[in-house]
Amino acid sequence: MEPFFRRYRNPLVLFTLLLVQFLLLALQVRRTDAGISTLEDTHDGHSVRLLRSWTAAIVTPFERILQGSTSGVRYVWGNYLDLRHEHDKNKDLEQTIDRMRLEEASLLEDARQGQRLQEQLGFQRQYIYQTRIAAVIGGSGTDHSRVLYINKGSSDGVAHDMAVIVPQGIVGKVREVFSHTAQVLVINDQTSGAGVILEKTRIRGILRGNANGQTQIVGILKDDRIQPGERILTAGGDQIFPRGLPVGVVKKVITDPDRDEFIDIIVEPYAPLNRIDEVQVITSMQPVFSPEAQQDINASEQLKGPEAQAIREKSIEEQKKAAAILAERLPGLTDPNAQPTDEPKPADTDIRVKPPLRPKHQDNFSPPGGESDATKPANHIPQKGEH
Amino acid sequence: MLPDDPRHNLVVRRFPFQVYILIPLVALVLQAWLPRQHYLSVTAYVDLPLVVTIYFALSRRNPVQGMFMGATLGLLQDAMTHQAIGLNGITKTVVGYLAASVGVRIDEGSLLVRVTLSVGLSLLSSALYLFIFEQLLGLDKEWHWQTEILRGLGNALMAIVFYPLLDRLQLKD
Repeated sequence: MEPFFRRYRNPLVLFTLLLVQFLLLALQVRRTDAGISTLEDTHDGHSVRLLRSWTAAIVTPFERILQGSTSGVRYVWGNYLDLRHEHDKNKDLEQTIDRMRLEEASLLEDARQGQRLQEQLGFQRQYIYQTRIAAVIGGSGTDHSRVLYINKGSSDGVAHDMAVIVPQGIVGKVREVFSHTAQVLVINDQTSGAGVILEKTRIRGILRGNANGQTQIVGILKDDRIQPGERILTAGGDQIFPRGLPVGVVKKVITDPDRDEFIDIIVEPYAPLNRIDEVQVITSMQPVFSPEAQQDINASEQLKGPEAQAIREKSIEEQKKAAAILAERLPGLTDPNAQPTDEPKPADTDIRVKPPLRPKHQDNFSPPGGESDATKPANHIPQKGEH
Repeated sequence: MLPDDPRHNLVVRRFPFQVYILIPLVALVLQAWLPRQHYLSVTAYVDLPLVVTIYFALSRRNPVQGMFMGATLGLLQDAMTHQAIGLNGITKTVVGYLAASVGVRIDEGSLLVRVTLSVGLSLLSSALYLFIFEQLLGLDKEWHWQTEILRGLGNALMAIVFYPLLDRLQLKD
């Protein structure tokens, strides 16, 4: 027996090592109801998670040191360059802050109105309430897996599936959390997915990565309105990214290689995905303004009160005009069954429904004479024998 | 030209114990860190753990050691990704075994041999990875063969640069 093992030692060790690893692989892959194989990517098994955790514990301290030293050198050099143009920059920034305060104050009214309307419609928009800044310390090192490692983990309040952004746009979502580090799945990975919407055409799709590391929206029906340069925003339906965050712009539209009637949209992301040093993890979303945001808003109102008031009044005037025009064009907006109120309506909001014009001659398209169908309420259900 | 009894005539390189720990660790850390530096993003087309596996397997001419080195590095590399753990482990185990088996029969000190082996084993590693991913696991993946050739050439370049440096770390009798 011994000579057999000695003679075939190498193939036997190879077989054993491969067998163990194949078993490990088999534990991580499952088959969906549709018969499609998929990785257990949302929740790793205990042993797999442990291995990832140990590896992160071994590798990330060295990455922190490397990242810290290069950041230090860049910081010193950057400071030197910044100092040279500090005065001009300050002046520009002050002007920008002034302009933004004015804009913020004027937009505040729109935001409040939006909130009121949303409450009335019974759904909530979630505002980013709290973020945590984290430094990117490393990646996976392979283009088969586009992930980043950040220097904040569960001890800092980071949790699974939290959105990760930079000021320019979205970056990805937290996939794995360790005590002091976390793994972020970047939007240009082939297994990532984010619900997005095209700003002008309002076409929705799912953003994911391709083999070249580009971001793309796949499986969209052909539409000539989609043109390069159109902005893409988060749609908010994926329960990870809040609605309306910038994603990128349409770079080009190509025909789906597998299906002629579909197109793929190659997206140029706003966030510089390959050279991010710092990110923000959205740790909390609430349907209210944060204390800091509220403080900013108050400051804006105080500083730019009269100017903002003028803009607001003008905006309200325009909204009223638009509402009146809309009401004239859409008679269905006024409920014909509504009880008349005693309160007199203001002159500029007196919206009356004009009856449709009568045809000069009888035809097949107009409602019949007498009590016209057009005068009946929209929700009127014809009874038996009634036409 | 092959020697008559290669197992006895070829030199087996030996290294201090620390080298077996430090060099793979440095390879792993650099592999995770370098591609993120935008002026070094081309290193995404290099697989440093594979280069290190091939080097130690060739130098030690011991298939078992080559397999364990490959399996360890591959599994650690997998753990750094979000993919299934074992994909790189299996490919690098096979690469370690083959490199050591070939190393027993040839003079691995020659530059041409090192470059050829690096390109060949790198392509084999990519092919194995894709085979396991798509055929055995039944997962879907988009890939380009040009990228894999680039990766093979990148690994060969790393072999040319780093193998002479690693040779300096060996113990001299």
